[in-house]
Amino acid sequence: MKRREMLRASVLAGAAAALRPSLATAQKAAEASSQASELTPAQSGVDASKDLAAPGWKPLFLDEHQNETLIVLSDLIIPATDTPGAKEALVNRYIDLVLAAETRETQRAFLNSLGYVDGESIRRFKAAFRYLSQEDQDILLHALAYPRFGSGWAGDRNAVADPGHAHFEALKERIMTAYYSSQIGEKELGWDGAFAHGPYQGCEHPEGEHK
Amino acid sequence: MSGTYLGQDPLQQTYDAVVVGSGATGGWAAKQLAEAGLKVALLEAGRAVSPKEFTEHLPAYKLKYRDHSPEVVRTRPVQKQCYACMEYNYEWFVNDLENPYSTPLGKPFTWQRLRVLGGRSLVWGRQSYRMSDNDFMAASRDGYGDDWPISYAELRPYYDIVERYVGISGAAEGNEMLPDGQFLPPMKMSCGEVQLRERVKAKFGHTVTIGRAAVLTQNHNGRLACHYCGPCERGCMTFSYFSSPFTTVKDAMASGNCTLFTNAVVSHVDMDTEPNKARGVTYVDRLTRQVKEVRGKAVILCAQALESTRILLNSSTREYPNGLANSSGALGHYLMDHVVGAGASGRLPDFRTLPNANEPARPNGIYIPRFRNTPSGKQHSRFIRGYGYQGGAGAGFKFSAEGYGASLKKAVKEGEYEISLGAFGESLARWDNYVEIDHDLKDAWGIPALHINMTHGDNEAALMEDAGAMGAEMLEAAGAKDIRVQAGVEMPGMAIHELGTARMGNDPKKSVLNAFNQAHDVKNLFVMDGASFVSSACQNPTLTMMAVTVRACTHLIDRFRKSEV
Repeated sequence: MKRREMLRASVLAGAAAALRPSLATAQKAAEASSQASELTPAQSGVDASKDLAAPGWKPLFLDEHQNETLIVLSDLIIPATDTPGAKEALVNRYIDLVLAAETRETQRAFLNSLGYVDGESIRRFKAAFRYLSQEDQDILLHALAYPRFGSGWAGDRNAVADPGHAHFEALKERIMTAYYSSQIGEKELGWDGAFAHGPYQGCEHPEGEHK
Repeated sequence: MSGTYLGQDPLQQTYDAVVVGSGATGGWAAKQLAEAGLKVALLEAGRAVSPKEFTEHLPAYKLKYRDHSPEVVRTRPVQKQCYACMEYNYEWFVNDLENPYSTPLGKPFTWQRLRVLGGRSLVWGRQSYRMSDNDFMAASRDGYGDDWPISYAELRPYYDIVERYVGISGAAEGNEMLPDGQFLPPMKMSCGEVQLRERVKAKFGHTVTIGRAAVLTQNHNGRLACHYCGPCERGCMTFSYFSSPFTTVKDAMASGNCTLFTNAVVSHVDMDTEPNKARGVTYVDRLTRQVKEVRGKAVILCAQALESTRILLNSSTREYPNGLANSSGALGHYLMDHVVGAGASGRLPDFRTLPNANEPARPNGIYIPRFRNTPSGKQHSRFIRGYGYQGGAGAGFKFSAEGYGASLKKAVKEGEYEISLGAFGESLARWDNYVEIDHDLKDAWGIPALHINMTHGDNEAALMEDAGAMGAEMLEAAGAKDIRVQAGVEMPGMAIHELGTARMGNDPKKSVLNAFNQAHDVKNLFVMDGASFVSSACQNPTLTMMAVTVRACTHLIDRFRKSEV
């Protein structure tokens, strides 16, 4: 739009405003439009459940290697069994979406943890985590998931904290949240999709026989 | 603005009463006064709400961030400290960027607010407990602070009225610290909770009861019984939990005597040329920023404890340079909020029940009434007053299971049977805990904001220490293992039970309001919310706030009938 057209448009808008029947109507319109924007997406009925499965999906935050590493890692932590695993639940895509909206500090902490896994992998197996055999991936993950603490004889067994374990737990927490909040995750927990299941029945055992 | 009054311009009327705030107490004031035939203007700072925006039946996976939205934190960093402020409903909570307040360095205070019709009654915790003379007359019994100017006997009929209308499910226990009320049938306890009840009674003699909740267990006053979907704070299509827009405010509007002004952000009370007489209130239209005045024969503040006091502090006049109706100097002082941060949790390994995603979700827990410093017990050597616990027990999915792989998936589903207790302790009324106007800080409507100055003291810390230890002992008696104890003190505001700052009292030199919530200094000015509390007790305060409002309105209606207003 050229400058002259823009001016013309704004003059017309001003004239239209002046021609409105009353201030009350204008106020009502303003209220209506403002109220519409004062709803959360959920409150205004937005269904975002299909967004992550959109064709042509690309990560917003992770680079390709990070994304592929996360897919491999997540599917080892929550594999497909008789039910789908993390990969099918698109756990990587959800984590990427959340991280893209997170603070720099949180983003950096995540990449540090992911980088730690690759660092350990290169140190021990001379290759990045996603290129390891499944057997080697398992060896590495096992060491991170079940760390050897100090001898413990002096008391607090957590006294010698393992940084690898902390990185593992941070990654695992994100993967767990992503998986169990997905539609696949809800099914995994056995939810039948209904919201009301009748009154809460509570305990019906005689005294002393609760279980 | 909506609604009309006799077909005339709503702003040109002089109403019998102007009620500021439409939450738990404002809703009651509007209902009581309008149904008595008085002409009421009800002002709400936010917009109206519609059941269409309820999201209680929306699964998290339909939300963009599945209720872990980092975006909510950006506009509501303070509000997000409350569990009920979620990706589902955050627009009900105030935008912290538009609604600032300040605190001294090193003395944080979290202030959760909603500015929509119904206010915090839309998202409240619904726990509803009576107070007793052990609370109203506590000062006479242990020498600390001041008694209330009203006794339990005086408030009791109003508790009855409120409970019968609201619908409180609960069980009568005959406990000396927690008077019974007009209950709908109680919700059921889980097995773990029943075991706790039996063993705590046997070992300690303390009562464990089902929570008394403003959630219907049978159809009541045109509202349907709870369908146990769980997340009440996202709204309720059957209106089974009590919230004012769909009950008291609805009744007030149905009477034909109430005019509702939404988006009316009240800045101050206007005074008449006649001395010590309020003329009405001035508000800023939230959307257009236009400044308007609503006139009334009586002005009633139900804006939430700190907001009502903020309005009075912002209403200074030549006679009242330090805040309206503040000849006592007590306005803003004696701020309280229940102390939280202590409790215990563990697991009941003997219980084999598996977690079930399709189990009805009970929107309620258990309650252990105060057992410290009771009339029948001895005085504790390290603290006065006491605390009560909320808690619960049941099988839950074990998202904290260790390891990874197929065994992790299995362990999550096998779950574990958990039990926990969290204490709410009395917050002593202290002069040093106060709010004042921060003259360098204004909200988005140009209204001076509050500076909130509050810390919990030694007594609160001692209560929490005891609550952690006692909680662990009770869980152990119930058979719990791996017990984790918390005995800290959280920042004030975390209980979201702000009380005081315009307290009642018989002595006009020491209090702002009389026993009928009427300002000592300005006879047609009333504060009928939690600001009026003299002490906090340890029970959740909303039920008492509503009963106090109904009592004060009954008195006001009587004075209108005698033409004393």
